[in-house]
Amino acid sequence: MALNPSLAGCVRHLQLSLRLNFRNPQALVYGYLVPLFFLLAFGSVFRADTPPLLNQMGQLLTITLLGGACFGLPTALVAERELGVWRRYRLLPVPTGALVAGTLLARLVLVGTAVLLQIGLARLLYGTPLPLHPGQTAIALLCVALPFLGLGLLIAALADDVPAVQALGQCLFLPMIMIGGVGVPLTILPLWAQRVAGFMPGRYAVDVLQRAYLRPEGLRGAGFSILALVVIGAAAGIAGTRLFRWDGGRRITRSALGWLGIALLSWVAIGLAAAATGRLQPSLPPAAAYESVTDEQAGQITYDDLPGDSELVTRLAPPFDPAQETPFVSEFAAKLKTWPPGLVANPVLRVRNLLSVAAIADISADLHEAEIGRIVFDALQGSHKHAELRRMLAWIILHPDEGLFITQAPELGLPKHPPEPLVRERSLLYAKKYLGRLLGKIHD
Amino acid sequence: MSPPPPASIRIRDLSKRYGPVPAVTGVSFAVAPGEIFGLLGLNGAGKTTIIECLLGLRAPDAGSLSVAGIDVGRQPREALRLIGAQLQFASLQAKITPREALGLFASFHVEAAPPDELLARFALADKANAPFDSLSGGQRQRLFLALAFVNHPQVLVLDEPTAGLDPQSRRELHRLITGLKTAGRAVLLSTHYLEEAHHLCDRIGVLHDGRLVAIGTPAELVARSRALPRLSFRTSQPLEAGMIASLPGVVSHEPKGAGWLVGTREINRCIRGLVQKLDDLGGEMLDLQIHQPSLEDVFLELTGRAWSDANREGNHGP
Repeated sequence: MALNPSLAGCVRHLQLSLRLNFRNPQALVYGYLVPLFFLLAFGSVFRADTPPLLNQMGQLLTITLLGGACFGLPTALVAERELGVWRRYRLLPVPTGALVAGTLLARLVLVGTAVLLQIGLARLLYGTPLPLHPGQTAIALLCVALPFLGLGLLIAALADDVPAVQALGQCLFLPMIMIGGVGVPLTILPLWAQRVAGFMPGRYAVDVLQRAYLRPEGLRGAGFSILALVVIGAAAGIAGTRLFRWDGGRRITRSALGWLGIALLSWVAIGLAAAATGRLQPSLPPAAAYESVTDEQAGQITYDDLPGDSELVTRLAPPFDPAQETPFVSEFAAKLKTWPPGLVANPVLRVRNLLSVAAIADISADLHEAEIGRIVFDALQGSHKHAELRRMLAWIILHPDEGLFITQAPELGLPKHPPEPLVRERSLLYAKKYLGRLLGKIHD
Repeated sequence: MSPPPPASIRIRDLSKRYGPVPAVTGVSFAVAPGEIFGLLGLNGAGKTTIIECLLGLRAPDAGSLSVAGIDVGRQPREALRLIGAQLQFASLQAKITPREALGLFASFHVEAAPPDELLARFALADKANAPFDSLSGGQRQRLFLALAFVNHPQVLVLDEPTAGLDPQSRRELHRLITGLKTAGRAVLLSTHYLEEAHHLCDRIGVLHDGRLVAIGTPAELVARSRALPRLSFRTSQPLEAGMIASLPGVVSHEPKGAGWLVGTREINRCIRGLVQKLDDLGGEMLDLQIHQPSLEDVFLELTGRAWSDANREGNHGP
């Protein structure tokens, strides 16, 4: 069936926009090489994490989407408008929105392919896991990309020329990178910057992508972040469409300030809503967050639901008699001492990695699962002060959805690769068994 | 008697201001099917503003514009389906090829001319796959004209279509425009070439400071002019000013090169008197030309400015 001519024209325009982009070396550099540069920069810093780069994927993908929206889209639009291309398009018998939508869609494809390239290369170069929820990650990418493209449209409407696009784009890009939780993680920002970040869409973009990419619960709980992105993006998109200029010769009028005000008001409204609903509480880095756990909080943890040490799940051998220590125990303990994930600098991550070992052995029904559970406990006590270990275990138990658990440890002779949610569940049970013993609430 | 066919273009009482500056004031005219109508005026006279209002690029402050009976303000897209337009200030993406551009613009219309046909017609076949930024000025202009022909337009609107074209391309465009006329299409064009307006246009509207100060066929405009026929001549013997002034019917005279330029109401008697004087002096006529009043004279009379001088000052504003 033949397409309606207007629709056929818009499809042709979309195809041509994509084709022309690939003929433009500058667009290729900004569209693909810059994201690659960011990947390598992040990779060089976070390649030693376990798993490498995974906790930064939300930030990395947000930077790519933000760059494409703040610079790629408005630069292309304004350059074409300055040339007079849009003036010529204006004589086509189609609504304004159709051609603008085609341009946005083309940009969406371009940033989408850049994101896929980043995910693929991160996997190839650093072994970063692929998204835990691919479908939800695709939805999250749309939830971030479309609002950001709305911002790009507003920049294009406001900027008189390409240098002005760069200036306006930097006004949005740099604050979000530096203090908006996009380039620098929220957890290492000062508290004032964390609060300011609550008024910027970058923080919510990272949250949505991070959840979809690696959190077991996926986008559940990301409602406010998605709402924030939709509100900010819609306000910017509507303002950008209302202020859209076909002709470079026409200057922005004073009434445009009203639309700009509406777009900015949405940022303020989201920030205030986040503050009013307690979403701007300080984010502490995992390495220090456990220090905030109080004795009272730790004391509220209950141990009634724990399976027995000899039962099928989370088996735990009694303390070893040094005189009767088996070769397996000494050999495994020695291997565990030099196991890299058990030596990472981040103490909570280190503890979580060691808990994963006990959990993997348990899930794999390893012949020595109970002994491994005990070796891990001994290793934890041997390498941490008891007070700190208690707080770290309590923090992990009280934040069951935080962080990521390792799912394989073949270097330790544990070849199986159970699913992460199961490893998380068993690790939390072992954490309770260990904490209970450290607090004297469970006795061997 | 059957009623006259509806005008292809009708503009009534069009006014447009840019801030406090009036660009067009109370302009009205109509272009019939098969008619070529030229807008003639200096830069800033309002030609481009009228064209942009007709194309929906600018909203008029007052007045109405219609194309084949369709109100441009109320049904802009329906009107644009009938129009083929070439703008003075427009461009295409640097890396788009003529074939791609024609294909893109054609895809928005139900019945469109095949790109290859237009490429051949506008002598762009050998540049069909060349990027736009590699085309010469004339090739770019031909491509924009080809784009204006993409939808088999009922009405063709051309803003300075031959600016930058070489003489051969200009002749080719004139042939295409004349072809449209015979096919019953209406053409509205602005130009700053007087000869082009004179030879191509059925009627001309002369714009000055945003007002339509005269409208008619080139012959009517010239006939309405108070300008006199002029003689320019050169003789073997120098003639004194007093002798020239005494020739029959002479109204004005001024030296021109090695000869004279004489305005006269009686050409025959003036020439006879001149030849008689030369015979008396034993001199000979080396060169003699008769200049009938032209559009340039009409323009000078209507605006108080000489066309050639004003265009030399030319800025290229609307």
